[in-house]
Amino acid sequence: MAAVIGLIIGIVAGLFIQPTVPVALQPYLPIMVVAAIDALMGAARSYFERSFSDRAFIVSLFSNIIIAAVLVLVGNQLGVGSQLSTAVLVVLGIRIFSNATAIRRFLFRS
Amino acid sequence: MAREHHSYTSRTKSASPADSTPTGSFPKVKSSSRHITFSHIAMRLVVCLLCAVVGMAAIIQHKNIQSSYASLSENELVRLLDETNQQMSLLENQKTQLSNQLESIQSAADQRAQLQKIENENKTTQDILAGTLPATGPGVRITIRQGSSHIDAGTLFNLIEELRNAGAEVIQVNNVRVVTSTYFENTHDGVDCDGSELHSPYVFQAIGDQEALTNSINIAGGVGSRLRVQYGASVSIEKKDALKITKIRQPKKFTYAQPIE
Repeated sequence: MAAVIGLIIGIVAGLFIQPTVPVALQPYLPIMVVAAIDALMGAARSYFERSFSDRAFIVSLFSNIIIAAVLVLVGNQLGVGSQLSTAVLVVLGIRIFSNATAIRRFLFRS
Repeated sequence: MAREHHSYTSRTKSASPADSTPTGSFPKVKSSSRHITFSHIAMRLVVCLLCAVVGMAAIIQHKNIQSSYASLSENELVRLLDETNQQMSLLENQKTQLSNQLESIQSAADQRAQLQKIENENKTTQDILAGTLPATGPGVRITIRQGSSHIDAGTLFNLIEELRNAGAEVIQVNNVRVVTSTYFENTHDGVDCDGSELHSPYVFQAIGDQEALTNSINIAGGVGSRLRVQYGASVSIEKKDALKITKIRQPKKFTYAQPIE
């Protein structure tokens, strides 16, 4: 419940205030957002499985974001930034899909 | 029965927990682990905050992507540049076309204005020549007083011809504006000019070069001397710097002739 309220607040705030993203952060923001969505999906799955833990969610959120950003950073340093970010996006996408499948199975028992 | 008995015995036998009621017959309510503590609230708040940050970041990224080229790959940037270049050359072409058009329209307008001006000038000239406009300018006034004999219409017409030869632009006789179709006809005590009867003194007013006009009349053996000698008339010529010829003619209506466009 707190997570849903927070998401809504954040979306509304993002719509109304217009902060400028620092240039250094610009290449990493999309990947970080996708990683955070992955963490959110994982949290939603564990919530439906009655094993949700605040601590685990926070840790997984931060670790996801940091690992994704660091991967892209390393990729940029090595000259394979776009390929590596694609790889990260693919993996995160697969995880999001599997989590979504689990939630769907739980919700519709099918 | 046995159970009741047992409980009874237990109650009687053990005195110390006398009021411990056995609850085995009732399912024990699962004690809620949700003790609302400070750390729980803090965790909830942190989760809420993190979700808010994630949502905001997503929206900001969504807004950002429309204005930023930083996230585009090299291929996309090259394509974008190509497209922009193409668009630019297209617009350049368009601009050239439009400026050509503008130029031609302007020159056409200029030409038209020029034509209009010439036409107006021509019209004024024609109107003055046709006698439909009053005119002013330097010229001469020639007054001829009839002497002993009646002045012939032909002589007066000669005088007009002389004035025209000398470059008279506008001529008036008494109150008749002289135009191309002007005629003189003898009557018994004067002349008929364009349907109006004229009598002595005949006053000719002509706009043109004063010297030339004067000379054309006064030239030896010219029309002036003939008037003086043959008809005994007095001929006086005054030069006027601003001769005004106000008599005008109505434009002639043509029945058969039509202008060629």
